[in-house]
Amino acid sequence: MFDTEMLIIGGGPAGLKAALSAAEQGADVLLVDRNPYLGGQLVKQTHMFFGSQKQYASERGVTIAEILTREVLNSDKICVLTDTTALGYFEDKSVALEIKGTFKTVYPKRVIVATGAQENTLIFPNSDLPGIYGAGAVQTLMNVHGVMPGARVAMVGAGNIGVIVSYQLLQAGVEVVAIIEAAPRIGGYHVHAAKVRRLGVPIYIAHTVVEAHGRESLEGITIACLDEKWQPVKGTEIELEIDVLCISVGLSPLTELLFQAGCKMEYVPQLGGHVPYRSENLETTVAGIYVAGDVCAVEEASAAMVAGQIAGLAAAGSLGYKQNNYEAKLKDAKNELAGLRRGPAGEKVRSGLWALTIAAGEAV
Amino acid sequence: MAMIKKKATVVIIGGGILGASVAYNLARQGLKDIVLVEKSYLTSGATGRCGAGIRQQWGTEMNCILSRESVRIFETLAEELEYPYGIDYRQNGYLLLAYSPKEREQFSKNVALQNSLGIPSRQVTSAEARDIVPHLNIDGLLGGAYCHTDGHANPFHVTFAYARAAERMGVNLYSNTEVLSIEKDKGRVCRVVTSQGSIDCEIVVNTAGGHAAVIGEMVGLDLPVYPERHQIMISEPVDAFQVPMVICMSHHFYIQQTTHGSFIMGQGDPNEPKGFNINPSWQFSVELAKKITSVLPHLKSLNIIRQWAGLYDMCPDAQPILGESPEVKGFFTASGFSGHGFMIAPYTAKLMAQAILGEEPEINIDILNYHRFASGQLILEPAVV
Repeated sequence: MFDTEMLIIGGGPAGLKAALSAAEQGADVLLVDRNPYLGGQLVKQTHMFFGSQKQYASERGVTIAEILTREVLNSDKICVLTDTTALGYFEDKSVALEIKGTFKTVYPKRVIVATGAQENTLIFPNSDLPGIYGAGAVQTLMNVHGVMPGARVAMVGAGNIGVIVSYQLLQAGVEVVAIIEAAPRIGGYHVHAAKVRRLGVPIYIAHTVVEAHGRESLEGITIACLDEKWQPVKGTEIELEIDVLCISVGLSPLTELLFQAGCKMEYVPQLGGHVPYRSENLETTVAGIYVAGDVCAVEEASAAMVAGQIAGLAAAGSLGYKQNNYEAKLKDAKNELAGLRRGPAGEKVRSGLWALTIAAGEAV
Repeated sequence: MAMIKKKATVVIIGGGILGASVAYNLARQGLKDIVLVEKSYLTSGATGRCGAGIRQQWGTEMNCILSRESVRIFETLAEELEYPYGIDYRQNGYLLLAYSPKEREQFSKNVALQNSLGIPSRQVTSAEARDIVPHLNIDGLLGGAYCHTDGHANPFHVTFAYARAAERMGVNLYSNTEVLSIEKDKGRVCRVVTSQGSIDCEIVVNTAGGHAAVIGEMVGLDLPVYPERHQIMISEPVDAFQVPMVICMSHHFYIQQTTHGSFIMGQGDPNEPKGFNINPSWQFSVELAKKITSVLPHLKSLNIIRQWAGLYDMCPDAQPILGESPEVKGFFTASGFSGHGFMIAPYTAKLMAQAILGEEPEINIDILNYHRFASGQLILEPAVV
């Protein structure tokens, strides 16, 4: 059992930024991540970021992870525990941790939950055959571990992750035979989609996977055209011979800890699923528990980093740590987050957020 | 949701094992217009959270008979209820550990009582205990008791088997239906008001488990049943190596390996306050892990994958309250099972159905009427975890 002022759960872009922002104000931070490394999903992102200059535009995700990790490790205010899983938040306001196989409890004064999101999957006959992956998992396999997932790949989902991972597969020398998208349009940024189109990858819009085939592992799939009611049209089936199928059909916030802690939650499809009510300072309805990143709304890493700053600053401020230009920094971060969500790309998130924002001090 | 019926003969409150099995037994006797209401979903309360052990090694005659007869029913229950999935019933035995001379003496009395009632339990030495559970650490162990026909069943399958059989005979089961009040007319129950509408009825059966006193209060009764949190945790699955359930009364824990290989274990906390809180605590897992690994050291390397809590419906003498209220006609209670409701439900439900239908129950259950609290005629069950 040991004490810490602030526990940050999750060392991805939101958690790293939260740690740095809180430490900068003078708070002592314990940052835990269940992976053996910090950086979260940034470490596999070999593409360059858009977003604002402040949030490392034109840098690759992996580089941003390196920069932030270095800063965090260099801070004498931040203690980092990797291979550490937060198991639960209990009534005595403790958090149980599994640290490299041992059980410990901490009593933090503030908790920032920055657990991120997990990939959604699709259910169809034989969807459990080896060779069927989440697109993010394939990205990790290739870009973190240097393993080729297979020889011939099809991608389900033409959102940003779908098209970016398709491009990275092509760069790695894997044949991408098709991108299959159920919606009648491509969801990803045009610039990413154009790149894969130029390389000759067909994008089947208004199509879905009907079935997978294979004995020991994946050998092929049947796809079919969808009608206006999203039902497969008989006679439009196409057979694709592949050994890997990547599924990229969105992310769901990893909210188990928040549910278990008793935070008031709401199902908001625009934000990715069940998400917590939160104040402008990103405090949930359980006093002392803050959120940042995909756990409170599935967005991009740039927004997660700014949200991390807000949560880190606000949580530190609530403990009385306001030593480093606190008010201005908090205001800037809030403005910046609003800025990132401005424009058509942020419309979905904006439409989901209004109902969830609670007034500061409404936490119970 | 479809409209609920406005009229019924019997309204059963609570969709756990007791409610479902009472509904089935009433329907099987030919009673029509039976309704069961459950405020959440079937098995959402204590039944779906229990350890689901089935033992006959009890210290009172009544508990011995209720469990012995229930075992007979469990043995062929899936067939009786024509339930295609089975109820995962196994008779792998229960080993009870004695760590004090007093405990050993109590076991000796209990075994004599159990044997006189036809329950094949026996006292064992600590060496014999280790023959039954070879990875048992017998340091400090003075002996124990063992019954090879004790066992385990899947509480979800058992409840759903009863519920589906009841539905086939015309019983209406309404989940997400909370009882708000119960109305009386000339000292008799006449209506149950729920969140989904009112149901006129002649008889109400209170099988609400930890919430039984809340239901009792609705007709002006002060049932001495109270809720008490009990916690459980479960390990990752491993190859089968522990056959029976192991119970340690002096350390308040029990542990058994399930069919799929996980170890499921729980403990009672003597300092647990009364109340409806079912949040799990980390202290529970730490304490129990220490106790378990001192008695069963081989389990040291097992990972715990989940923990949860549920409510015992406690009665001051650790025995249930069964039967009709003398003050409120038509109001029957089957609650206060004190942690062993699941295992004695099959036979208890049969007796309850007989009582509800105005028949003489096959064994006299008068001593379990709630009069006993007024007259002070309590027979304390000594063998509770």
